[in-house]
Amino acid sequence: MKILIVEDEPKTGEYLRQGLKEASFVVDLAHNGNDGLHAALEGMHDLIILDVMLPGMNGWEVMRNLRHQGNMVPVIFLTAKDQVEDRVKGLELGADDYLVKPFSFAELLARVRTILRRGKSGVEATSLKVADLELDLLRRRVSRGGKRIDLTSKEFGLLELLMRRQGEVLPRSLIASQVWDMNFDSDTNVIEVAVRRLRSKIDDPFEPKLLQTVRGMGYVLEIPTTAS
Amino acid sequence: MTQRFSLTTRLTLFYTLASATVLLGLGWLTSVAMNRHFEDLDRATLEDKIHLIQEVSGKATSRPDLQANLNDILHSHEGLFVSIHRNGQTIYATSELKIPNETVNVGEDPQTQPVLRWQNGGHEYRALGALLPSPTEDSEAMTVWVALDTQHHAHFQRQFQTTLVAYVIFATLFSGLLGWIAARRGLAPLRIMKSRAQAVTSNKMGERMPVAAVPVEMADLAVTLNDMLDRLQEDFRRLSEFSSDLAHELRTPISNLLTETQVTLSMARTNADYQDVLASNSEELQRLARMVSDMLFLAKTEHGLALPSRERISVATEVQALFDFYEALASEKGLRLELVGDGSIHGDRLMLRRALSNLLYNALRYATPNSAVAIHIQTHADNISVCVTNEGVDISPEMQPRLFDRFFRVDKSRAHPDSDGAGLGLAITRAIMEAHGGRISVTSLAGQTCFSLVFPDTFSGPTNVPSS
Repeated sequence: MKILIVEDEPKTGEYLRQGLKEASFVVDLAHNGNDGLHAALEGMHDLIILDVMLPGMNGWEVMRNLRHQGNMVPVIFLTAKDQVEDRVKGLELGADDYLVKPFSFAELLARVRTILRRGKSGVEATSLKVADLELDLLRRRVSRGGKRIDLTSKEFGLLELLMRRQGEVLPRSLIASQVWDMNFDSDTNVIEVAVRRLRSKIDDPFEPKLLQTVRGMGYVLEIPTTAS
Repeated sequence: MTQRFSLTTRLTLFYTLASATVLLGLGWLTSVAMNRHFEDLDRATLEDKIHLIQEVSGKATSRPDLQANLNDILHSHEGLFVSIHRNGQTIYATSELKIPNETVNVGEDPQTQPVLRWQNGGHEYRALGALLPSPTEDSEAMTVWVALDTQHHAHFQRQFQTTLVAYVIFATLFSGLLGWIAARRGLAPLRIMKSRAQAVTSNKMGERMPVAAVPVEMADLAVTLNDMLDRLQEDFRRLSEFSSDLAHELRTPISNLLTETQVTLSMARTNADYQDVLASNSEELQRLARMVSDMLFLAKTEHGLALPSRERISVATEVQALFDFYEALASEKGLRLELVGDGSIHGDRLMLRRALSNLLYNALRYATPNSAVAIHIQTHADNISVCVTNEGVDISPEMQPRLFDRFFRVDKSRAHPDSDGAGLGLAITRAIMEAHGGRISVTSLAGQTCFSLVFPDTFSGPTNVPSS
């Protein structure tokens, strides 16, 4: 997967590149609008992360030019502006997502993966499996090691999200947004409590522990590597 | 142009103008009256002389006799001219005075005659004519003209007018001066208020207008200004508190970050230690980022920017969604979530959700374990009220009005865990309510705390959203 970052702030650009590289993406970095547009038109990227305030040609113009030339590559806007009009403008120009600075890297990564996963529908799985934890989407049943586990509908939704995106660190805000449709950043510890309750049902009586907290970033469901 | 003049100048000008008008009117009246008086006086004199001449003429026996008699009675009269004619011939004349319009027909009685007036060589004359019975020797009638040089009257009048003009000018100026003094003295309370106003600065917000010392007309103004100053002082106090709170709230995490990072860097650590520090930094930074975005949200909402979107929202549906969200938290504390009623409002869904979420979270946090947290939605004639109630320790009445201030916490000293906000939740809720034209209030009595949101019913028509 090849990603183009157009970002004029050197530190931001560099860390984004490093972070995405470590998440096993191939990353190009452009420092201004003109280079960015050029790279986007030449490079056959799967996704573009586009800053709005850019020297030369701003993000809106890059986006407009790109679409004008028939390039339909998915775009995530990064911007310090969070006016609703800007958001609407970005999305109207054909962007796929919009992130306001400061954002957490886990959030960006989660959104990048959401967009890249989109379209690659294939056959929708009817069940998900991580180690001995199984989730039957049709019958809405969860079992681990053959034992049936009763979950509330929101717990089921949470587990489904975590299992669908196993191995990915999901930030709290993304979980709140995807499972409960709460699209604002709150100070509450609701997600922690919900994860704790889910954990007590699917993890506590079993080994190995699948649902892990990544401090300062979010939660991840995966088979733990033996090293840790 | 006129609005540039000071009030004192204006009052002085008006006062001067008024006295000038009055004085000029008086002067004009006096002049006219005096003129008329002199005219009457002159006419009386002329009539008198004509009667005298008629009498003398009636007694005269011949022309020389008449002339001698006339000379006798007229010689001592300064400025009096007499001429007697018959058929164009001058029979008698005291001097060479030419009377214009002498040919006017005159009658026997001078009282019915108009007085002739003319000027000649700087002198003004008045003349009256009459028929004179003829002396015995011939029968034809004579015409007599008596003229008077009115110079001494004119002289007096001129002098009087000069005096009058001088007096009017002087009196006008003097009354102008008096007017200026009166205006200055009358406006003294204004200057006091001005100096008081000048004394008000950000350090000395306590200065007030002297309500008791100013006249009744200005007392109202002074009271209004004092009220304004009270409000400004209160706002200023809140602003000062707010900036120091803001500084504190921002400095704490930044200084945590700095200390933690620098202490860690001061010597080599294990990987686990580094990870720990970075994770802790990440938490602090998230808190900072959230605080900054909350502050921006507040600033934008409070500056009355238009709502991002407006739609009709069923409050019960939103509350239900929030109940789903907070369910885990509530059941952990053994709290029951209850919803009663429904209503629909017109507003921004995300904002409404956020406002309700803040209240619900507060209620859950401060609720007594194993009690109920209830949301009552009521539709009234002209508004919709949403009441979030929990059981718990009462909020003291002094605290209640300040709950909605930014960064306000009931217990400042309490070390708050990560989940605890920066004290912006209720301020945000209030700002959201105000953006919707609604209001928020709190009551806390007998262990029941209730936050009420009241939305104006800007939406007419029945609500057809099913209650969930």
